[in-house]
Amino acid sequence: MKKLLFTLLVLLLAFSPLTAAGQEEKAGPPTLNVLFYSPELAEQYNDMVAAYKAETGVTLDITVLQTDYRSVLTSRLNSGDVPDIFMSSAYADNSTYKDYVYDLTDEAFIQELEPSALQGVTVDGRVLGYPFLVQSHSFIYNKQVFEENGITTLPRTLDEFEAVAKKLQANGVQPFATGFKEFWVLPQTAWQAIANVPVENYGGYENFVSMLNTGKLKFKDIPEMSQVFDLLDLIGEYGGPKPNESDFNDQTSALATGKVAMIHQGNWAEDSIRKTNPEVELGFLVGPTGNNAETAGLMFDSNQTIRIAKDGENLEESLAWLEWLTTSEYGRNWIPGQVKQLSPIKGAAAPDSQIAESTTAMLGEGVPGYPWFYQMFPTGTEQQLGAILQGYCAGLTDRAETLDALDAAYTKIAKAAF
Amino acid sequence: MTPLKRKQLSRAMVFTGFTLPALVAILISVEIPFLMSVFSSFTKWNGLDRAQTFIGLENYKELILDDLDMWKAFGFTLRLTLGSVIVTNITALLLAVLLDSDLKAKNTLRAAYYVPNIISLIIIGYIWRFIFSAGFESFYQITGLEFFMFSWLGDVKLVYFSVLMVSVWHSLGFYLVVYIAGLQTVPRDLIEAAMIDGASAVGRFFRVTLPLIMPSITVSVFHSLSNGLKAFDVIFSLTNGGPGNSTTTIALDIYRTAFVINRFGYGTAKSVILFLIILILSLFQVRMFKQREVEV
Repeated sequence: MKKLLFTLLVLLLAFSPLTAAGQEEKAGPPTLNVLFYSPELAEQYNDMVAAYKAETGVTLDITVLQTDYRSVLTSRLNSGDVPDIFMSSAYADNSTYKDYVYDLTDEAFIQELEPSALQGVTVDGRVLGYPFLVQSHSFIYNKQVFEENGITTLPRTLDEFEAVAKKLQANGVQPFATGFKEFWVLPQTAWQAIANVPVENYGGYENFVSMLNTGKLKFKDIPEMSQVFDLLDLIGEYGGPKPNESDFNDQTSALATGKVAMIHQGNWAEDSIRKTNPEVELGFLVGPTGNNAETAGLMFDSNQTIRIAKDGENLEESLAWLEWLTTSEYGRNWIPGQVKQLSPIKGAAAPDSQIAESTTAMLGEGVPGYPWFYQMFPTGTEQQLGAILQGYCAGLTDRAETLDALDAAYTKIAKAAF
Repeated sequence: MTPLKRKQLSRAMVFTGFTLPALVAILISVEIPFLMSVFSSFTKWNGLDRAQTFIGLENYKELILDDLDMWKAFGFTLRLTLGSVIVTNITALLLAVLLDSDLKAKNTLRAAYYVPNIISLIIIGYIWRFIFSAGFESFYQITGLEFFMFSWLGDVKLVYFSVLMVSVWHSLGFYLVVYIAGLQTVPRDLIEAAMIDGASAVGRFFRVTLPLIMPSITVSVFHSLSNGLKAFDVIFSLTNGGPGNSTTTIALDIYRTAFVINRFGYGTAKSVILFLIILILSLFQVRMFKQREVEV
C-alpha cells in the first residue's frame, strides 16, 4: 500500500512539469480579456466570440454583468486587473475612464462609422471609444391593444396621451406599466419630456449641461420641468394599482401579453417582449414634450461604448478585433442580423426589429431624434436623480421639494467630479 | 538562565509561533487595508484616477455638516436595527422555548426555521420581491383580501415593515439555534428545585432560565445589532433603497457613494464613521449585557 502511494506521488511529481510545459506551448494566439454588460445579449456575444475564434484563432474571454457592472469595472481597474476591452456609457464616461482608454482617432476603421454615432465618444476632436450600437427610447405600444380599443390616432401631446389613457382605462385595460422601480427608467422617461428645451432656451446641450455643472442654472429655474412632473403623474395615475413596484420584467411581460398598452422603454426591450409573445406587434410613440406636438420626439443616440485599454498587453489584438467587427462580413452583419439593433456602421443592413424599423421610419418622416443628453451629466447622477424622482412618484416629496433635492444632489456630484 | 526562566521563554516562543501566522494573515488582509482606507478618507479620489489628492478633513466636514441623505440613511438604519434586534430576539427566544419542549414535530420545525438562513440574502430579496408583487396579486385574486393589494414595496409607510419582516424571517433560524443551545445548558436540577419550591412556569422562565441563558442573549443581541447596522444585501435586492431613498441604509449609501458616484475618498470617510458607530454601540451593548450574566 505504501509502495503504491509512493509510486503514485512520484508519478505525479514527474508529470507535473510536463503538463505545465504542455500548457505553455499551447499558448499561441493570445486570449483577450473582455468585460461587457447587457446580459440579454449573452447569446449574441458568444456567437461572435465563436466566429472570431474560427476566423483568427484568437479567443475572447468575455464576462457579462449588469447591475454591479460599474463597481466590478472600477475595482478591476483599481487593482490593476484591467480588461483589454470593456464597455461604458458615452459622454461623461469619456472623462471617467480617461486614464485607461486608448485613443482611436487615427484608426482607419473609425472612418467606416456614421459621424452622428461618434458624437458621444468624441472629446476635443479625439475619438475615445467605439460606439457599439445605436439605440432609441420612448413609449412602446402594443398595436393589437390599441386597435382593439379603437385608438387610431397616435397621441403626440400630454393631453392626447391622457385621453388615450382614459379611454383604455374605461375599457378595462391598464394604460401603462411604469417601470418606476428601476432607477434608470425614471430619468429616461423624465428627461425626454424636456428634450427640446436645452436647444431652444439654453444654447444647445453642451451649454445646458455646463450651465448646470457650474451652478449657473438650477432645475428649479427651468419652467419646463413641470412637463416632467405632469408626465410622471400621468404614468403613475394610469399605471395600475402598484405603480412603484413595476420593474423591467413587469413592463415587458405586461406589454407582451396585452395586459398593458404602453411602456416607456427602449429598443433593447423588444427581444424580451417578443420572447414572451412572438406574435406581438409593437410600435413606437413619440414622447410628449408638454403639449407641443411639433417637438415631441424620440431619444436616439449611441450610448453603449466599447473601450480599448491603452496599457493592455494585447492592444494590437484588441484593435484588430475592432477592425474585424467593423469591416468583416460577419462583423458588419452582427449587430443588425443577430443583436437586431441599429448598427453605427455606414451602409449597414437594417435589423429585423419592429422598434428599429419604427425608429427609422419616424425619423425619416421628420420626427425629432434627440441625443441622450442626460448622459453628459456627471457620472452617478443617473442613479441619484433617479432615486429622487422615484421619491416624487411615491409621494415622498412634492414638486418644489423634488426640484430642490435634484439641485442639491446635482450640485454635490458636479462639485466632486470637477 | 534558570530552568524556570527557560521554561517561560520556551512557552512564549511556542505561543508566538502559533499566533504569528494568523496575526500576519489578519494584518495583511484586514488591518493594513483598513489603515489604507482610513488614509483614503482624507483624500479626494474617484477610485479610478491614478493620483489621490489629500484634502485633510474636508470629507468629514461635508459628512457632518452637509450630508442630509447620509443622516437620513443612518436614521433608517437605526430604526431597522432596533426593530430587527427586538423582533428577532424575542421571536427566536419564544420559538426556542417552544422547540426545546417535547413537541413531536420539533426536528422538522427546527429545520424549517433554519432553512432561510442558508439561502443567500440576495436571493431571498429577489424571492420576496416576487412574492410581494406577483405572488400577492394572485393571493388577492383568490382571497379578495384588501391586505394583499397594499403596495408593500412601493408605499413609503409600508416598506419598513416589509424589509423588517424579510430580514427577521431570514435570520431567525440562526438565533434560534443559539437560544436552543443556551436552553440546553440550563441544569435540570435548578428547574426542578424551583418547581418543588412552588414557582410557576412563568416564574421559572424569568427567574431561573432567563438569567442562566444571558450569555446566549448577549451573543445574539450583539450579532443582530452589528448585522442590522451593516444591512446591505437584503435592501439591495428587495428595494434597492427605494422608493425614493426611503429604505437606503448606511451601507448602501456608502456603496453608492464609492461605486456609483465614484467618490471613493468620501465613501471611505463614511465607512470609517460607520465603523466607529458600530464599535461604540457594540462595546456599550456587550458591557451592559455582561453585567447581567450570572454563574451557576
